[in-house]
Amino acid sequence: MGELTATHFLLLSAALFITGMMGVLTRRNVLVIFMSVELMVNAVNVSFVGFAWEQNSMIGQTFALFVIGIAAAEAVLGLGIVMALSRRADTVDVAEVTELRD
Amino acid sequence: MTPEVLVFDILAVIAIIAGIGVVVSRNPVHSAVALVVTFVNLAGIFVMLRAEFLAAVQIIVYTGAILVLVLFVIMLVDMDDLPEFHGGAPLQRLSAIVIGLILLGEVAAAVVTRTVVGQPGPWNEETIAAAGGNVQVLGQFLYSGYVLPIQAVAIVLLVGTIGALVMARPDEITTRTRGRTTGTISLGHSRGADLVALPSGAPTARVIHREDMRDGLVMVTSADAYTEQAAWAGTDVPSEPGAAEYPTGAGIGSEENR
Repeated sequence: MGELTATHFLLLSAALFITGMMGVLTRRNVLVIFMSVELMVNAVNVSFVGFAWEQNSMIGQTFALFVIGIAAAEAVLGLGIVMALSRRADTVDVAEVTELRD
Repeated sequence: MTPEVLVFDILAVIAIIAGIGVVVSRNPVHSAVALVVTFVNLAGIFVMLRAEFLAAVQIIVYTGAILVLVLFVIMLVDMDDLPEFHGGAPLQRLSAIVIGLILLGEVAAAVVTRTVVGQPGPWNEETIAAAGGNVQVLGQFLYSGYVLPIQAVAIVLLVGTIGALVMARPDEITTRTRGRTTGTISLGHSRGADLVALPSGAPTARVIHREDMRDGLVMVTSADAYTEQAAWAGTDVPSEPGAAEYPTGAGIGSEENR
């Protein structure tokens, strides 16, 4: 526990990822689910950068940058879907949206 | 405990607490604010990991752009108090917590017992400083070995922009001709409103506002195919007596006739 190692960062990443995962699994508000997904993406970024730091490499940071770019596109599309959903089904409750099931 | 570890502990604990706040808070706005706290703390973590550019990008893209977008959507979307906190599904929540803790234990065991394989790269503090800094090295990487992925991300962002435009298109397109509001069409009608082309004797479609969309949307694909059919199937659309068929629907067009 004396020196700062990549293990610290990996444990932080795991904790954040599982927090986000539990949000995705338990919440019903689609916007909170979306924010939990963002949390998971960030946890993965911490992993990437932590490994890159440990290995004296820059590839992890490059990948984290790509992840951020993709997450931006995902945010745009996800929030567009939320808007279309609330306009069409008048709800943000994922348990009420059963259009594809019926 | 070195000061590095102390700083890391502070950042990590605040980030995790705020992350839990995102998941458990009842109000989505509180979730968004907690998410801002998490992101800022993770930017601090990135600075500790010699990723200064990523820390800046984290602040700008996540807290600056994505979170503002989320707050806008929260503002625009009409959100009811969902039943998830009114005692619903405690068993589900309990099992989620148990499964989460089990997964966390598994991953933590894997992380703690891992051994480093592979040989370290050349980019320590001295070589990065000799190359000009974090941004310079990252730029060299991005625009030499990762040109194709950069282009792919650019295409993904372009497609995302177009997709957002398509999805956020308003339901109601109204054109005004000869001083009279003539038409509206939406949801699956590719060309938008073309009621201007209706012959003079034909009934004009009524303007349909957001709140009476469920009563039945007038679909007009051309002037000859005027129906009162709803744009979607399956939902119970109350039919209007006497307004079923073209061309006998005199007065379909008037708002007060409904």
